[in-house]
Amino acid sequence: MNSAYIASILNSTLRSTTPILLAALGSAICSRVGVFNIALEAQMLIGSFFSIVVNYFTGSVLLSVMAGMLAGSLVGLIVAILQVKYKAADMVIGTSLNLLVNGATSFLLYLIFGLRGRLVDNRLVSLSKINLPLIKDIPFLGRVLENLTIIDYLAYVIAILLFIYLFKTVSGFRTLSVGISKEAAESLGTKGTRVQMRMVVLSGALCGLGGTVLSMGQVTMFTENMTSGRGFIAMAAASLGQNHPIITIVSSLFFGLCQGIGLALQNVIKSQLTMTLPYIATIVALVVFSRRSMKSKKAAKLEKM
Amino acid sequence: MKHITKVYGNLYANDDVHLSLNQGEILAVIGENGAGKSTLMKILYGLEQPTEGEIYINGQLQRFRSPHDAMAKKIGMVQQHFMLFKTCTVAENIVYGSEPRKKKIFFDREKAVKITEELCEKYGLYIDPRRIVGDCPVGLQQRVEILKVLYQNADIIIFDEPSAVLTPQEVHELLNTMKKLAGMGKSIIIITHKLHEVMEVADRVMVMRQGKYVTEMNKKDTNIEEMSYLMVGRRIVTTKVEPQETTGVVLDIDNLVLNSGEGKNILDGFNMHVDAGEIVGVAGVSGNGQPELIQCITGLMKPTSGRISLAGEDITGKTVGEIREAGCACIPEDRYLWGCATQATLVETAVMAHQYKPELSRRGLINVRNMQKFTNKLLNDYDVRHSGLSQKAGELSGGNIQKLIVAREIEQNSTLLIAAEPTRGVDIGAMEFIHNRLLEKRKKGDAVLLISSELTEIMSLSDRIYVIYNGKAAGEFTRAEATEEKLGILMMGGTLNEESKNV
Repeated sequence: MNSAYIASILNSTLRSTTPILLAALGSAICSRVGVFNIALEAQMLIGSFFSIVVNYFTGSVLLSVMAGMLAGSLVGLIVAILQVKYKAADMVIGTSLNLLVNGATSFLLYLIFGLRGRLVDNRLVSLSKINLPLIKDIPFLGRVLENLTIIDYLAYVIAILLFIYLFKTVSGFRTLSVGISKEAAESLGTKGTRVQMRMVVLSGALCGLGGTVLSMGQVTMFTENMTSGRGFIAMAAASLGQNHPIITIVSSLFFGLCQGIGLALQNVIKSQLTMTLPYIATIVALVVFSRRSMKSKKAAKLEKM
Repeated sequence: MKHITKVYGNLYANDDVHLSLNQGEILAVIGENGAGKSTLMKILYGLEQPTEGEIYINGQLQRFRSPHDAMAKKIGMVQQHFMLFKTCTVAENIVYGSEPRKKKIFFDREKAVKITEELCEKYGLYIDPRRIVGDCPVGLQQRVEILKVLYQNADIIIFDEPSAVLTPQEVHELLNTMKKLAGMGKSIIIITHKLHEVMEVADRVMVMRQGKYVTEMNKKDTNIEEMSYLMVGRRIVTTKVEPQETTGVVLDIDNLVLNSGEGKNILDGFNMHVDAGEIVGVAGVSGNGQPELIQCITGLMKPTSGRISLAGEDITGKTVGEIREAGCACIPEDRYLWGCATQATLVETAVMAHQYKPELSRRGLINVRNMQKFTNKLLNDYDVRHSGLSQKAGELSGGNIQKLIVAREIEQNSTLLIAAEPTRGVDIGAMEFIHNRLLEKRKKGDAVLLISSELTEIMSLSDRIYVIYNGKAAGEFTRAEATEEKLGILMMGGTLNEESKNV
């Protein structure tokens, strides 16, 4: 295996990581305030769709990205209202929204464009690719960072900002406190429900941004169900990352790597098999991690006695 | 507080109650569970709005719409169920709400630690500010609650049944803390039904019964008997225990060892036996292996070595179901964690472990009508005050849910009944009731194993007493031999020399 090959795997790892990382951050902040949000998939997919729709009609990248985030936030708002405010069952809300958005985007695709399955058009503008001036000439690194979009970089900045917000600011402290004990937080004057709803909407925006990268990053198109489970992989990444923004970067990169390898192996093994790699990795990682955390919990329990 | 009335539906939780508090004074509000003490305090703290009545502070009329308003008027409350963030540090918990900041938005955790240290110093209540609250024992968690209230600059501090969850040592410290705070000019209200605590700290006592103000008096003009009479509305008869012959060993524990998995023996060669027709008490400071002992007997934990036999049958390592079947019922220490499912209805709570009885279910189908009948019988016989069969177990007051659990376990008619802290946090009336039931059980010739951190409870009921210390039986006494001093010395890990044994 030569270094160019490895560099291209790493390059596709970075590209695959971005949507997962953004959605995983969304998942992490929901978990941190004690909301179990499984509608990430819906939030992403609707972001993919509406960014492409706005892209098609306006040709503006900025407006597309904003549309993607807004659409994601709106689904987030639905989750927030139903799940947080009216305390509806999280599984039901999440699952039905995921199915609903999947169906609705296909339906709208047909309604607006008269198309089935996918929308590809040469009018669509993709996110501009950045090749950093000096680094692009370094042999290996230049290849690894080749043709990334601004959002690929932005995702890491967002992760760091989230970390600073949650763990360094007063407002972040109170946000986290809601997740630890909503009752206690409310007894001390923090508006728990409002904090939770805010975070769910923010997760919608992050997922929407992730969806936008998916439809306007490597490729510029929309296909039915193009998120194909990335929302769930993101949940796994967040949980592996202990809902900590920085550790979540690492776990998201792991899943990105699995996708990168899967893509690279497509030419060697049947693609149907390689596409399963990220999902197998998800299961294995969750099993390994939960066993570890069970052990440490057991140890902590014994210590307490 | 004047003419306070609070109505829930058609229930008068408070009916024209008056309360006054002077600076630097400790006022004890006493009454049975459900007498309306907590409601009154919730109104004072702004958690509930009174239906009628007024609150004045320093002569000024107040309206508290939320605890925020009350806090602004320097009223603080140490709640019975702690409002703490368990995964946060002590300092973070204390400064919550008015956190020290750097550059306006950042949380200055170092300063928070410093503030906490200063606060500890000022009031003489020491605690490590960097410790995680969830790792602190209950007594220290309560101290965090107190410091929190002090950080908010409260002048009036309400303690809602503060000793219910504490060990005797922690209670002692708490009472000292209260006296200290009162000495510093803070005014304190303590809600309680433990009368010896009242005698120890209070300056004035106010009695409530069934939502009504009964009377108030200075502590020095009253005594425990008078207070308990006023609380309950009738005389409490001190239970007399007739001596009774025992017949045969029921529970025999031989050299029981439980290893924590980290090289420490939680139970370390524990020996004891309980005979039919006797109540055996296990006295000890909490944390010396009592819960583990119970869990080994009931089958929740597997002992590392040793033998437990019940009515001649070896039950070591058997499952919970098999051991129950063999004749063991248990009133667990923590009624919400082990004793009942808080979300279950009263019927579900009452029939737990009774469900296989032929009159309650047949071939896997339950007989709802008989279950309701059975539940009603328990509720009536054991005087559990409730609002309906579909009420949730967690909605009953502490004393009432405990009575229901006691009812359920006694009605198992098992040869052995384990009663762990059966009267923790229940009022005098319920306590007397539960004690009498335990004595009835003894009278029927069954064996009762009583584990309690209340020495008075152990001493008044038990025929024989074991002291547990560091997982070992440190001593065994008959009723006649036992004195509080002797038990106390062994509980603290001391030894008795021959002389003191003969005292």
